[in-house]
Amino acid sequence: MLESLGFGVVAFMLGVYVMLDGYDLGVALVSPLIARGDRERAAAMRSIGPFWNGNEVWLIAGAGALFALFPAAYATAFSGFYLPLVVVLWLLMFRGIALELRAQLDSPLWHDFWDAAFFLSSGLLIVLLGVALGNLIRGVPLDAAGYFQGTFAFLLNPYALLIAAFGLAALGQHGAAFAAMRIDGEPALRAARLMRGLWWAVLALYLLCGAATVVVRGVHLSVGAVAVPAVSLAALIWLRAASLRGRAPAAFAASSVFLAALLAEAARALYPYLIPAFPAGRGGLSIYDAAPSRTALEVALTVSIAGSAAALVYGSVVWRRMAAKIRVE
Amino acid sequence: MDAILADRIQFAFTIAFHYLFPIGTMGLAPFVAAYTWKAARDGDEATARAAAFWTKIFAINFAVGVVTGIPMEFQFGTNWAGFSRASGAVVGQPLAMEGVFAFFLESIFLGALLYGARGRPSRFKAWSAVLVCVGAWLSGYFIVATDAWMQHPVGFAHGPHGTIELINIFAVLGSRWAVWQYFHTIVAAIVAGAFIVAGIGAYYVLAGRETALGGRFVTAGTIVAFVFSAAAAFPTGDLNADNVTRYQPAKLAAMEGLFKTTTGAPLAILGMPDTENQTLIDPIYVPGFLSYLAYGNFSAGVKGLDAFAREYWPPVGLTYYAYHVMVGLGTIFGGLSGIALIALLLKRLHRTRAILWALMLIVPFPYIANEAGWMVAEVGRQPWIVYGVMLTADAASPTVNGGETLFTTIGFAGMYCLLGILFLTLMLRTIGDGLARA
Repeated sequence: MLESLGFGVVAFMLGVYVMLDGYDLGVALVSPLIARGDRERAAAMRSIGPFWNGNEVWLIAGAGALFALFPAAYATAFSGFYLPLVVVLWLLMFRGIALELRAQLDSPLWHDFWDAAFFLSSGLLIVLLGVALGNLIRGVPLDAAGYFQGTFAFLLNPYALLIAAFGLAALGQHGAAFAAMRIDGEPALRAARLMRGLWWAVLALYLLCGAATVVVRGVHLSVGAVAVPAVSLAALIWLRAASLRGRAPAAFAASSVFLAALLAEAARALYPYLIPAFPAGRGGLSIYDAAPSRTALEVALTVSIAGSAAALVYGSVVWRRMAAKIRVE
Repeated sequence: MDAILADRIQFAFTIAFHYLFPIGTMGLAPFVAAYTWKAARDGDEATARAAAFWTKIFAINFAVGVVTGIPMEFQFGTNWAGFSRASGAVVGQPLAMEGVFAFFLESIFLGALLYGARGRPSRFKAWSAVLVCVGAWLSGYFIVATDAWMQHPVGFAHGPHGTIELINIFAVLGSRWAVWQYFHTIVAAIVAGAFIVAGIGAYYVLAGRETALGGRFVTAGTIVAFVFSAAAAFPTGDLNADNVTRYQPAKLAAMEGLFKTTTGAPLAILGMPDTENQTLIDPIYVPGFLSYLAYGNFSAGVKGLDAFAREYWPPVGLTYYAYHVMVGLGTIFGGLSGIALIALLLKRLHRTRAILWALMLIVPFPYIANEAGWMVAEVGRQPWIVYGVMLTADAASPTVNGGETLFTTIGFAGMYCLLGILFLTLMLRTIGDGLARA
């Protein structure tokens, strides 16, 4: 019971991470298309400037919660994905300094360099996180002690790459929705247009990924197996309706619901495993194998639930304070 | 390459580089909060410029601190999976708390502090600055509590399959090791912050730019540096030494270069430990003083390294030198800030160029003292990763080999080289641009 609650908490925190950091990653991905020239790109950066760091903390805090709630899974996953994960760290670092340092000097060359670094590191980060998620769903070859070694040849399989492509399209759409909502003027119009175009790619990849997941994991019919995809499909249709009517905030909300439903679907497919074994159906590292004693679980649950709730409260206070649209200046 | 050695080199390098920036943020946060708060209350233009300037300096430190901090939390899993798997039920707790209680506070309110209108800060900004400071200091607490448990494990029990189970989280968070190590750490960071403020102020006064505001920085920095240099020695340093004496006598012996168990043990001010022949070369001793410091009695017996099996000795040389560097520099900080304080009371500080030069040039040294202090704590804990419970040799990831870790270490080294250059460039440029543009 406590273990399931812990699974839910980790899934929730990582889900919030994807929704929040997803939009600033997405803005980075689409900014070459929607922002032209130094001033517009500066506006795109400023639209996420006050928020990106807080958003990224959801990943750090989610990893911390995973460490406290399921130490064995944390140890297995992080050491098993060793090299890809170190590359993720380097990309996170590069992206962070690009965001923080771009505005420090007033030189077009300096700006161009960090704009390119920001775009590349964000795009690669989405790809790597997508590959990681794809491999989690597909399963990894665990040994008897519960460890594995993820080789590149194993990790870069077609399914994981498909999930990564879907991640690029879905987060690009999410970022475009955010930019359409937050920025004033030309870039917002371009973002709205881009969002409408990207929608078709998202829809195609969504259907393709659904079919591929059935191939990789098999079909297990249940209420959840029908209800959660129904929510994501409904959100995708809502997103279309909102973007055709030019309602950017509604489109952003729909995109957030869409991402949340996708992650809920991934979590539902994994449960009760944190790291399923490859090939599918061979068990894996479950929440019961990975959880510590009751005392530790209770402490970790209290901390992560209370802390996440507090973060949501003051995150939204700051969000409201900074709600003014960003102008190109 | 030996995997454990590669893992240790990587952790030592990445943590030592990372820690340079928390020193700056934990030490400068109270100054940022104070100047922002005062500017919001009084609305005077000079204080508002001071607030904007220190916020900018803080933000550069914070940015590099955040990006170099990201790998730290992940390294527990990537390189130290054995340790994480066995003791995650305990050390995972304070690390999770740091994420949800400290990082959110710091990063969300720093966003609020950095973005928004220039000029007189709003009340909201003033509160944001205070909350950023609270977040920075809380973050320090959770990290120190994690380390304190590894130094002095309490509130746990041995579970099945070599795991460590949490029994009492309050015992972990509130252990006397955690509390005193925290106060010592934060006090030492504030010493560094105070010397940064005084040193940059001294530069402005010496350069003849912004002499009024520069003078205010010198005054504020000097007073804070003096008070906290004193507090770094007594009571916080003293109580840490007391903890080491009680719980880690082998570390104490290594810190003091005491090879043989001695009654009325002398304190070595200088000297070179020779581990081979187990003596201190060319020592300068204060007779009986180590016994006094450790037990309050000049003739008490102090255990030397000979009381411990050789395989449980920490690396003697590094522990000894790091400890002496820390204490020596701490003494110099107290002396310099004391002299500056006397000059201030005589109303001569802002005209005495020699003291201003000294204040400006001392800025890097609190960093060295802070790093040396951590070296004493961590190197002196070896060969244990959790003192008396788990050996460092059993803690690494079984699936990661030395070559991989060496490769990523070189990658981190390149990345940090770039970061270091960027950091210095931006800091020097910000200081060079001066207070008018801040």
